[in-house]
Amino acid sequence: MVVMWMFMILVWRMLGKVLRRLGRRALAVPAAAMGAAVFGLNVWTAATVLLALLLAVLLALVLAGWRRAGTSGLLPVTMLGAGICGLWAAASMARSWTAAGFSVWNAFTMRIRGPIPMKGAGLPGAANLRAALQAATGRLSPIAVRGRFAGFTWPSARLVTGHIARPVVRPQVVILGPNLWWGRLLILGALLLLAVGLWLSPRAVGDLRALITRAAPLLRRWTREGNWGILLVPVTSFGLTIFGVRPWTVAAIAAATVIAIRWPRLAADLVPLMLVVFAVYGFMLVSRWVPGPNALAMPQPTWFGAIPVDSSQTSLLAGVEASALLAFGAWLFPRTIGAHARARAATGHEAELAGRVQRLTETRGYALDAAAAELRRIERDLHDGAQTRLVALGMNLRALERMLPASPEAARALAAEAMETSARALSDLRQLVRGIYPPVLADRGLSHAVRALALDTALPVELDVDLPGRLTAPVESACYFAVAETLANAVKHSGARRVHVRIEHADGLLRIEVADDGVGGADPARGSGLRGVERRLGTFDGILAVSSPPGGPTMIAMEVPCRLLSPKTSSCSGTG
Amino acid sequence: MQVVVAEDLFLLRDGLTRLLAAHGFQIAAAVDTAPGLLRALLEHRPDVAVVDVRMPPGFADDGLQAALEARRQVPGLPVLLLSQYVEQLYARELLADQTGGVGYLLKDRVFNDDQFVDAIRTVAGGGTVLDPEVVTKLVGRRSRSGPIARLSGREREVLELMAEGRSNAAIAQQLFVTEKAVSKHTTSIFAKLGLAACQDNNRRVLAVLAYLNS
Repeated sequence: MVVMWMFMILVWRMLGKVLRRLGRRALAVPAAAMGAAVFGLNVWTAATVLLALLLAVLLALVLAGWRRAGTSGLLPVTMLGAGICGLWAAASMARSWTAAGFSVWNAFTMRIRGPIPMKGAGLPGAANLRAALQAATGRLSPIAVRGRFAGFTWPSARLVTGHIARPVVRPQVVILGPNLWWGRLLILGALLLLAVGLWLSPRAVGDLRALITRAAPLLRRWTREGNWGILLVPVTSFGLTIFGVRPWTVAAIAAATVIAIRWPRLAADLVPLMLVVFAVYGFMLVSRWVPGPNALAMPQPTWFGAIPVDSSQTSLLAGVEASALLAFGAWLFPRTIGAHARARAATGHEAELAGRVQRLTETRGYALDAAAAELRRIERDLHDGAQTRLVALGMNLRALERMLPASPEAARALAAEAMETSARALSDLRQLVRGIYPPVLADRGLSHAVRALALDTALPVELDVDLPGRLTAPVESACYFAVAETLANAVKHSGARRVHVRIEHADGLLRIEVADDGVGGADPARGSGLRGVERRLGTFDGILAVSSPPGGPTMIAMEVPCRLLSPKTSSCSGTG
Repeated sequence: MQVVVAEDLFLLRDGLTRLLAAHGFQIAAAVDTAPGLLRALLEHRPDVAVVDVRMPPGFADDGLQAALEARRQVPGLPVLLLSQYVEQLYARELLADQTGGVGYLLKDRVFNDDQFVDAIRTVAGGGTVLDPEVVTKLVGRRSRSGPIARLSGREREVLELMAEGRSNAAIAQQLFVTEKAVSKHTTSIFAKLGLAACQDNNRRVLAVLAYLNS
């Protein structure tokens, strides 16, 4: 006894030393291990128990290795979690929350009466422990009775819950008396963990906050970089808890790993989708438990995320878990699929804008070039034409003035010549004006101007014009000269017998078609005429398409986005 | 002969009134806007109006529109339009009512006052005077359809001059043929165009219109 006391004191001291050294961190290891073990018991599959233990050890190591704030912050969380898990294990078979409380109490006090006949010569150690734990947590198993351990079936929870007054322990059920203490230890430990966790938690809040503050930028950077794809592997692994270890679940995990590595963006997009699918599956499971407790009717539990859904309690837990999955999926959605969609839209928009800028730059250049060339042409025409003729006219009149007294006959001839010159000057100016802005276009707009153009064209021109209003002057002008150019081409090059011109405006788009039955072979790349038309229309975002196979026919289509002005405001152009 | 002059540019209006007065016309009114023209035409009912196509308030084809409106209200009201440019489109619109008494000339033609005054008198008499430039463009059209295609070269020449408002005598002088020959050509033209014998002036108008529409 004394030795034992001394041993215990020694252990306590050592523990104290370790604790002082490591701080409260050290507690994380047993706490996590305990929580995981309890959780694992609940799950009761050898693989998951092992996995849970492994995770617990890993978690503990991580927590223990975490510097300063982290450990003390996470510790109470771990402890509370483990405590709750332990109690849950004890209460898990209860059919109601009050009953759950009772079952814990019952498990602790072992107020389950009944015969405890031992069939067989006792159990091996591990099985003993397991049976004891089951007994302690309310899972009275018929395993011992049957003398085998593989055929574990879920017992009726009535054994421990809500039916204390009625000793319902069936005779064949074995409770291993000596090992009850292990069960009690478990529950005591769970309660202890809860108490310590609660006691630590106020102090931990600050630490936790610090931890979050510290981790936040890291987390933010991580999420911003769109690394969510990595989650695909654990999320897919979640399927193991539902479907078990099967060839296809393993294959799915392998595939998820490959996707997460090779196509992280796709993986990130898949994560919320899978979460939602799992959540929906969870809700479907839960919905089977909604009408009322019908546990006994369901011999096999359906697993969902390490929870055997076989009672209203466990289904509730599964529901919470499914909700958590759904919430996480919903939270991830804008960060994965949404973000990617936005990014894609943004890049598309940017590319569009860049293209637009380039096109505007080009067409602006063309427009400026065209305007400069036009001004140069007008200047040259005036200089060589009307201006020169007016100079000649002035000289003629001066000569006429001198000649008049001496030789009236010669003066008359000169006057006739002067008149001729002035008429030519006027004719030149008329041509010039037509080239700048045709008067009929200014007077009446595109439809009439094209009609006038058709009348002046040496070929029969069929017109089909549907233009209820007028267009802005620059568009009218560009379109008029486009039609004029194409008609001139048809007359000069096509050898056509007739030309058809169609103009219509619909949905903010002016469409002009000039078709002839000539020999074809028109190519905007070769002649400068059509190229010029294309550029001029391009200034208004207009386009020109030419279909002119060798042998004809030729069809030239032009489209210019523009709005129709109301006919009322249409005739306010031109000058006196 | 009563004349209404419509021209918004003062220099030209002044020049026109003087020229017309010098040739014995009486100026009933000289206006400078399209609405003013319409009022003057309906009020004075002149023997002929000399009208600029482009006028205020729209500075588009307001003069033409006012003249057409006046002719709708007073059918056959003789109008001679002057313009810096000629359009077949406008010529057709003027001739469309087939009543004659219309003229359409470039402003340049005022230089030759004799021809100009002749043209005014032709219009006042119910004839049709088209500017040679309009007619030239008609000649430029290569292919023709309908009855015009059946005219001989000489007949077409006669028709062109007819469109310019020349009388048979003037045409004969121009083509160096006798007036009788011209008369024969015109009869042939009317026959080929399917214009039955009625008032000669009206047939000339219809022949010119057919030519324009060809």
